[in-house]
Amino acid sequence: MPGRILKKSWLIKSIFFISAFIILLIGGITYRSINNLSQSSALLTQTYKLNVELEKIFIDLKDAETGQQGFIITNDPIYLRPYNVGRENINASFAALKELGSDNIPLQNDLKDLNSLIDTRMEYFERAFRYSSVGNYYDENFTVNFNKGKETMDTIDVKIHGMIDSQNELLQKRQQAYESNLKVTPMFLYMVLLLSLLLMFIAYTKIIRDLKKIKAVNEQLEIFKESTNQSQVISQHGNWILNVDEKTFEYSDNLYRLLGEEPQSFTASTTNFSNYVHPEDQEKFKKEMERLFKYNDLPFIYFRIVQKNGMVRHFKAFGKEYNNSEGKRKVLGTISDITGEIEHFKILEERNLELERNNRELSAFNYVASHDLQEPLRKIQTFLSRLEDKESANLSEVGLLYMTRIKNAASRMRMLIDDLLQFSRTNKADKSFELADMNVLLENAQQDLAEIITEENAIITAGKLPTIKLIPFQIQQLFSNLINNSLKYKSKNRNPEIQITYSKVKASEEPELVNAHKSYYHKITIKDNGIGFNNEYAENIFVLFNRLHNKDEYSGTGIGLSICKKIVENHQGFIFGSGTPDKGAVFTFFLPLS
Amino acid sequence: MQEDYINIILADDDADDRMFFTDAFEELKITTKVKTFNDGVELMDYLHTDDAVFPNVLFLDLNMPRKSGLECLTEIKQSDKFNDMAIAIYSTSASEEDIEKTFVMGANIYIKKPNDFKTLKKVLQEVITINWQYHTNGLNKDNFLLRL
Repeated sequence: MPGRILKKSWLIKSIFFISAFIILLIGGITYRSINNLSQSSALLTQTYKLNVELEKIFIDLKDAETGQQGFIITNDPIYLRPYNVGRENINASFAALKELGSDNIPLQNDLKDLNSLIDTRMEYFERAFRYSSVGNYYDENFTVNFNKGKETMDTIDVKIHGMIDSQNELLQKRQQAYESNLKVTPMFLYMVLLLSLLLMFIAYTKIIRDLKKIKAVNEQLEIFKESTNQSQVISQHGNWILNVDEKTFEYSDNLYRLLGEEPQSFTASTTNFSNYVHPEDQEKFKKEMERLFKYNDLPFIYFRIVQKNGMVRHFKAFGKEYNNSEGKRKVLGTISDITGEIEHFKILEERNLELERNNRELSAFNYVASHDLQEPLRKIQTFLSRLEDKESANLSEVGLLYMTRIKNAASRMRMLIDDLLQFSRTNKADKSFELADMNVLLENAQQDLAEIITEENAIITAGKLPTIKLIPFQIQQLFSNLINNSLKYKSKNRNPEIQITYSKVKASEEPELVNAHKSYYHKITIKDNGIGFNNEYAENIFVLFNRLHNKDEYSGTGIGLSICKKIVENHQGFIFGSGTPDKGAVFTFFLPLS
Repeated sequence: MQEDYINIILADDDADDRMFFTDAFEELKITTKVKTFNDGVELMDYLHTDDAVFPNVLFLDLNMPRKSGLECLTEIKQSDKFNDMAIAIYSTSASEEDIEKTFVMGANIYIKKPNDFKTLKKVLQEVITINWQYHTNGLNKDNFLLRL
């Protein structure tokens, strides 16, 4: 967003310079045309003046002529005055003309001609005077000169009017130029005005638009700032900025709160901050600050602070250099209060220790169960067998019955101890998974049960099983327990038949696998034709010590299927059982496809 | 003639077990000389005496006060003079850990104390009639634990 605004400001700058240039250019042109206008009006005036002066010369000459004629006729000197004045006026007009026409070479030439003509005319005047006397108009010299004077006068008349004509022509031309200038100049002025208005309008709309944008961005920034403040409070962290060149700090409000202070209640600085650092962490903190000033970089550091009320908090800090758009170097940093995390970690550690202790106790119990509990039982059983061997003959019938009862109870206790031990040993932690052929494991399980299988005339059929990663002895145990279970709960009316089948299934297509976290599973089914069970108890059968039958009828301990469940769960699998009374039971277990 | 006897020694702290053990050998129709010791210290003291008769098979209980079966086993395996002695571990527990450990330490067979006298007799008969030369050559972790 700031980048876009910056680019626009560059655009505004160039628009401004281009328009200033155009206005200056048009202004220059306008100045020149106004200048032209005043020049042409000056030229017009000059032409007028020239014409006037020429007319004056002619009039003065006429006056001089009339004065001469009057003097000649009346011989009264009063008539000579216009003649004399005319002469002076002509000279003055000439001077004026010369000045006015100083840049006009044809005019100069004409003036020269006119001057010589006027001189000639004056000479004829003089001569006519010399030969004139009152009443004698027939003197030959007088007549010649007078006539010649008249002729010259005519020539002057023609000359002056010629000059006036040419001046008039010039005047007309200049007037045309003046008029065209007069037309062009306002147009230029108007154009400048229009252009300026246009540029002003563009600049105005542009500025307004940018202002709106900046306002929107500002609003966003404001929201962002507020949400940052909130998130700092929620997530218990604060920000700090180091202005590298000035070596000054800025702290966010929440950073002060983390220190247990009011926002901005003291000047942000290393010295002020280090007042809060835990005495044991002071040295470490100092070193890290030196590092920060040297490299403008702060890797993750951990330290404790002590708030004024004596509370110790654990902090984690981090900072990285950042160059802002004006090229100012800053280090942006974060501090977060990780006391909660550390406390959690401590609790977790304590719990782990407790768990470990529990595990150790459990294995100690295992040992006690496996050794110490078995030993007296073994003795009881051995003594019983000794008693049976040696003393049966001496016992009454009731005594023999009691002995049988004691024997049964003892062997049941042995079974319980063995199963319990197996159950407690069925854990995953110290067992490693390895690739194993399930066909071999099933074969081994059948071998373990060979005696009872032959005894019961059981028929076991199995499809081909996969080779997968598992805990081999546990899966063997699983097969063993499940087959044993089927044999134990066989029907009295028929020989046991057990069918083991395998298929690879999609979790989504198996209604039982609602909690599956893998997509595909190995499905292994063990189906028998035994006494089955009511599906009401389908879930109970896996619960430890849970039995569906009286222990006098069936010799189970209620542990076997719990072990099966534990084994399958160790493999992130699922096991289900379903039954039909007097028809048989089906046990299905699913192991995830790796 | 000493050669006609099979010399047996049992080290076990349990008086009942020692009794079952000697009774069983008495009932077996094999000529054996059975010596019993109450713990590992007594056993090792005897074995280190100059006139000690080394048994053909030494039965070692694992869990004994003062000196355990494992400690005895270690000591015996450190000395060359006991090389011809077959060592049978004779214990109540058959934990994987114990079986693994004693196998690695060089015991020849592992016997889990049976639950009745008949089985005990059967086991002992089996053990003392083993051809140790043959058994030791083919010994592995699977046949280390005696199964009947």
